[in-house]
Amino acid sequence: MTRAIDMGWIGCHTCGTVHEGDQTHCRTCSATLHSRLPNSLQQTWAWLITGALFLIPANMLPLLSNLVLGHNEGHTIAEGIAIFFQTGDYFVAIVILIASLLIPFSKIFVIGILLLSIQFRWQLDNKTRLLLYEFVEFIGRWSMIDVFVVALLAGLVKLGAVISILPGTGAICFALSVIFTMIAALRIDSKLIWDAPAKDTVE
Amino acid sequence: MTDHDKNTYQALFDHNPDALIACPACDTLHKAVPVRAGHIARCTRCHFKLMDPKPDTLTRTVALSITASILMVTMLCFPFLTISQAGLTGEVSMLEIIFDLSHGWYNILAVMVAAFVLALPIVRMIALIYVMWPLHQGRPPPPAAQQIFLFAEKLNPWAMTEIFIVGTVVALIKMMGLATIGFGTAFWLFCGLVVVVALKNAAVCRWTVWSLIRKSPS
Ligand SMILES: [Zn+2]
Ligand SMILES: [Zn+2]
Repeated sequence: MTRAIDMGWIGCHTCGTVHEGDQTHCRTCSATLHSRLPNSLQQTWAWLITGALFLIPANMLPLLSNLVLGHNEGHTIAEGIAIFFQTGDYFVAIVILIASLLIPFSKIFVIGILLLSIQFRWQLDNKTRLLLYEFVEFIGRWSMIDVFVVALLAGLVKLGAVISILPGTGAICFALSVIFTMIAALRIDSKLIWDAPAKDTVE
Repeated sequence: MTDHDKNTYQALFDHNPDALIACPACDTLHKAVPVRAGHIARCTRCHFKLMDPKPDTLTRTVALSITASILMVTMLCFPFLTISQAGLTGEVSMLEIIFDLSHGWYNILAVMVAAFVLALPIVRMIALIYVMWPLHQGRPPPPAAQQIFLFAEKLNPWAMTEIFIVGTVVALIKMMGLATIGFGTAFWLFCGLVVVVALKNAAVCRWTVWSLIRKSPS
């Protein structure tokens, strides 16, 4: 196994084209070239912590408030899931449980593990690294489901005057948390994850 | 890694740098061997997809992108959902849903829906058409083809049409007790759009486009 960095070359992070070490832009895709993304760890930590901080009010404040005949009943994400389990809407309950609770929390946890594994050069086996990275790359955006649900409900219910549903502050905090952790995931330089030798390779 | 490996790679690189590919995910060097359409070349170390040439990628991406943009624009003109409540029936289009949201700090939500569901997907389609249509015609790449294709690829995670349709279904089930909701024409167009966008994303072969817009090594 030989890496581009071992040869003094730079491999493009987007398309994989190999360049001499003094090139600044990829000749194939025009992306800026770095052997490793500068400050990848610091930037990812910063976005991740911001995302984690926004997840706290996102779960404490109401996601929605129903003004039913002037009576205000707001509910948080967890309360919403409980209501749907009680009323027997298991499909909605499970979708929201996965998209709004499991994915956001586990994503922050997994990005944290990846960052720590880079910082302390943990020797994870290759399968685990791939699994963690793919999870972070492709799953996180599905958390936006609940933001769209709130937007639709608020946009729709204005038609009837009997009830009105208003987005709660929790919804905005939740959306910002999802966006910040998506940016965090994009700031990870996966080449750093693979720079530490693997547990299962003998070199 | 041995000196022998290093010498082999150096010789390949000196002869033609495009004969090598460094895995974008883990930096491992590979010899770029031609891959037949429909087959996938994966990184030997991290299993990242290095090349997955698709048959007729230019024709299919351009055709599907044009179809998707037409569906998107048509969809905006029709009612998305209909609501009957207490004897009153109303219908709303996607744009009305967004405009109804846009006051005060709800503007943030309105902007998110407008951007992630409508604007960014359509910008990505137009960017792909701009780059791939001339290539499909056998003409040289258009100005700034590299930058625009890179931008289109960067937009991919932020285009969320398929997530929105799941959100719509959940919202409808949530609303069932409160009002009778029906699907408007735009809802069905949107479902079609999600399928076409998925087919379009699956049709894009980045490797083919890059090899057509690549500049020769300086
Ligand atoms: Zn590149
Ligand atoms: Zn790799």
